[in-house]
Amino acid sequence: MINIQDMRDTARGLLTKKEVRAVIGYRRSTNGMLAEPVVITDPAQADELIWDPTCFHNLSLYLVEDRKFLTHVRKTADAPIAIVAKGCDARSIVVLMQEHYFERKDVYIIGMSCEGSGVLDERKLAAKGIRATDAAFDGDDFVFATAQGEQRIAAREVMADRCLECREPFPKEHNAVLGENKTGRELNAPFTALHRFEELDAGARWKFWEHQFERCIRCFACRSVCPMCYCEECVVDSISFPVTGQTSAEEKANRVRWIERSATRPENMTYHMTRVLHLAGRCIDCNECERVCPVNIPLRLLNNKMEREAREEFGYEPGASIGGPSLTASFLDTDPGKFIR
Amino acid sequence: MSHSQAEVTQAEASGEFEPRIVAFLCKWCSSAGSDLAGVSRMQYPSNATPITVPCSGSVSPMYILSAFKKGADGVLVSGCHIGDCHYIEGNFLARRKIHLVKELLGFVGIEPDRFRMSWVSAAEGAKYSNVIKDFVEDLKPLGPQNKMKADRS
Amino acid sequence: MTKKRTGVFVCHCGNNIAATVDVTKVKDAMANEEGVVFSQDYVYMCSDPGQNSVIDAIKDNNLDNVVISCCSPNLHEKTFRDNAKMAGLNSFTCEIANIREQCAWVHKDKDEATAKAIKISRSAVRRAGRDQALEPIAVPVTRKALVIGGGIAGIQAALDIANAGVEVILVEKLATIGGHMLQLSETFPTLDCSQCILSPKMVEVSRHPKIKLMTYSEVQEVSGSVGNFKVKILKKPTYVDPELCKICDDCASVCPVVVPNEHDLGLTARRAIHIPFAQAIPASYTLDESACLGLNPVRCGKCKDACDVGAINYDMQPQTITEEVGAIVVATGFDLYAQEHMNEMGGGKVEDVLDGLQFERLCSASGATKGHVLRPSDRTVPKEVVFIQCVGSRDPAQHCAYCSKICCMYTAKHARLYKHHVPDGRAYVFYIDIRSGGKGYEEFVQRAMEDDGTIYLRGRVSKLYRKNGKVRVLGTDTLTGQNVEIDADMVVLALAMEPSKGTGEIAKTLKIGRDKDGFLAESHPKLKPVESVTAGIFLAGCAQAPKDIPETVAQAGAAASKVIGLLSQPTLSHAPTVARVRNSHCSGCEMCVTACPYNAIHLEHGKAVVNEVLCEGCGSCSATCLRAAIEVKNATALQIHEMIEACLA
Repeated sequence: MINIQDMRDTARGLLTKKEVRAVIGYRRSTNGMLAEPVVITDPAQADELIWDPTCFHNLSLYLVEDRKFLTHVRKTADAPIAIVAKGCDARSIVVLMQEHYFERKDVYIIGMSCEGSGVLDERKLAAKGIRATDAAFDGDDFVFATAQGEQRIAAREVMADRCLECREPFPKEHNAVLGENKTGRELNAPFTALHRFEELDAGARWKFWEHQFERCIRCFACRSVCPMCYCEECVVDSISFPVTGQTSAEEKANRVRWIERSATRPENMTYHMTRVLHLAGRCIDCNECERVCPVNIPLRLLNNKMEREAREEFGYEPGASIGGPSLTASFLDTDPGKFIR
Repeated sequence: MSHSQAEVTQAEASGEFEPRIVAFLCKWCSSAGSDLAGVSRMQYPSNATPITVPCSGSVSPMYILSAFKKGADGVLVSGCHIGDCHYIEGNFLARRKIHLVKELLGFVGIEPDRFRMSWVSAAEGAKYSNVIKDFVEDLKPLGPQNKMKADRS
Repeated sequence: MTKKRTGVFVCHCGNNIAATVDVTKVKDAMANEEGVVFSQDYVYMCSDPGQNSVIDAIKDNNLDNVVISCCSPNLHEKTFRDNAKMAGLNSFTCEIANIREQCAWVHKDKDEATAKAIKISRSAVRRAGRDQALEPIAVPVTRKALVIGGGIAGIQAALDIANAGVEVILVEKLATIGGHMLQLSETFPTLDCSQCILSPKMVEVSRHPKIKLMTYSEVQEVSGSVGNFKVKILKKPTYVDPELCKICDDCASVCPVVVPNEHDLGLTARRAIHIPFAQAIPASYTLDESACLGLNPVRCGKCKDACDVGAINYDMQPQTITEEVGAIVVATGFDLYAQEHMNEMGGGKVEDVLDGLQFERLCSASGATKGHVLRPSDRTVPKEVVFIQCVGSRDPAQHCAYCSKICCMYTAKHARLYKHHVPDGRAYVFYIDIRSGGKGYEEFVQRAMEDDGTIYLRGRVSKLYRKNGKVRVLGTDTLTGQNVEIDADMVVLALAMEPSKGTGEIAKTLKIGRDKDGFLAESHPKLKPVESVTAGIFLAGCAQAPKDIPETVAQAGAAASKVIGLLSQPTLSHAPTVARVRNSHCSGCEMCVTACPYNAIHLEHGKAVVNEVLCEGCGSCSATCLRAAIEVKNATALQIHEMIEACLA
């Protein structure tokens, strides 16, 4: 069982000794039960930090934001930045380092073991009709503070699917780590949700996705929240095209309009499929995209499909190694080729 | 564009559905193989329009998705056989990448027969002609591809 | 961006295109395309008037780029690009729309073919509209060549190149050059002594001021590209200083280790310290480390004690030598298909069943029996000998699908040599067909039959086994339909030729392709028979395909002339259709670096940088890049995007 005080002490110590310039962590939001991301620079703020089942955000997004900011103001960091990271978050940090977005020395990872548990799926809690003001880990249970008093629920009943299926709920890559390594516990078999979906036939799958892609409003929340979507300009949407001093008129004119702006099904579909392909071998299943989607498109299914293909066909685990090759930039002689005529 | 409408009506007038195929052919093997089919006067349906690219490894998934979005009823990617790539290992990279594209297309419910990949060497004119024949035959019962096709009036 | 002015030229190709494609319709359709200011058709675009009309039209209409709708770009892309250049355009702004091989010749319905020709042409118009003017990249050339393999192919190539004044490094894996040709007794069709014609060439190699001979050496690593290869060569220690060695044989006569002699294919034995044969080049002994008791005076040390001149040095170390060369000839030769694979022929376990090379050693004056044909089991003169052709060749189901080409001829030669050695003996040849194309070859085979009385039996051998001190051969004569049973004293198998062991590794090291049978692949089966698929690397001899000595020498000469031609230029021009990085989009993720098959990309200040000399323009980088930060010039995503549109419009 992790003592929150240990995490606060770690953060305070790092800031006091100026070993890091900031700590990215979680604090209680003003919105009742939920945690929210916070960046602290003052050791005195360390006591604001929390650790509970609502710490579902993948904070590595803020490492990306930090790097973008530094580039923008043309500064180099004088010290690393510390980040509170779950197993999944740590894997996304590994992918970012694998892609040289920043170097290992730039980051201090305060690893948090999920200790055989996981984070909350708000929708599952809401479905139970529970309105809570606070949530806490307690072994195999979550304990919620509600108007009716404390309510204890078996964690697996309201845990996010991705945590139920998580193979590695422990941050292998870390500078410091809190909590016991309980890797190897599997509440649900990996890809359970995906397998369930794949029992549908092609027609039913199309019906499902046709409906989902119709509903997308192309708010790009999925892209904005994704730490892997760090491109300055998205290939499928050149709205954010960075015009710098080096940008030639020709370059501006030569942008490819792969996708039109209109939020119609074919455009939405092409956008999502491109995104999924670009995340193949990089997505570490933090599922932030699905969580923030205002119309609840089950994006995890798509990402999971690629993750399983990579794992089963190419023996590839995203976020496994900083020095390893990227999935689509490499190959094995033994890659499957039966589908080719 | 008036002529393009003429082409469409022509196909419609004949009654039977004629699938429109975009065929990405690598320059060194598959394009040369289709040249050989030509030199050998092997007849095959005219539904596939070839686009010659340097290597199957240069075919970005975007090309495939884009072709479907632009209304292709079928997309073919064809390269050199494994071990014969002019660029040594481009087709190995293609094999992995295209596998993912094919799986994804099937996953969202697009008929698996709409996308095809083949290895056609410069010596395999007959194979190229058969690949196209089979593809057209398999596409005909599926009818027009409307799932990804952007509806632009 | 200012609007580009495009011209389209539609070729009838006589009736080749015009019979199935309505060329006027294509021309008119192109005239309506955006950006097209000129469109014309002509009966033979590649003829002199046709070419002139292209040049004139470019000048008269101020064209920025041109599209020729005609035959495959393999045929006339260069022609029309040259025309564009003559008219003052950049040659890379000319595109070919292939409406012959990929359209007119493969369709019958004129309407359908015309519609497709329009799509193909329109797609080329879109591509040309976005073509950039490019200049070939000049690459300096290292005036030195590497020849890998010291058989007759390598020797000939090295001599031809060196005689043109170009420095050559000749690398041979074994302790001597000479290759398989040196194992041969006589050669067809003239029956001149193989060693007598080869030895002088070997001496010439060793004495040539422009040739650096590296025997007992292997190419380990090759980087760079045409004009500028960097090669790492491992020189294995021979433990004998060739400068000091007097080839007196004192060392070998005291060496206690006896192993089979590879040069005689195991028909004789040699010592651990040995010279493969008396005329070896370099003329020096070699200590075979794998056979030696231990390179240590404590273990043995007898050879060192016996050597008066102190040529033996147990402390000799392997050396890695780096050389820079501009071109490479690969002449790594062949091996015979192993008898062990041939179960129906006894699988190599039946005594007195030899392969062709072993028989050569039996006939050779320098061989195991000093030129007397004696069968190995009891050293008696064999009176009945069966020669079997196509052993392992032409058998796609179980062995090699291809014809090994020279077996018909050498079997005829073997039969004749045998009859010359044993005039009262009887020679049988089992064959499927006789393939004796070549100057004097058919006559040679006829003489084997008529003058020397060889009995040719058309058919396959089904089985052979040892019986009563003989080899019983069971077969069928398919001409008479009779089963044949011969109790032979000796059997000689004309085994298939396969690429020498290590061909796979050398192909990988050099990044050159192999064909389905494992032979090194030529760039074009007819027009580029000595070029590998990698520029600057050429092929000679049996590493490319089975062939006889005259053909090998001719191919080696051809490869040498290609090398000389290549290295005679001060700079090489490299295709400028290479990858280009868009710095504003590059995040330095290194995925392109990993994907590049040529190691042509590296990171500088966090951005990808392309080495344009190494880049071959395959586009693996662009398909891998997630942010469209790298693409191949004149094959950009924008061009493909518009071509897709053009195909589907």
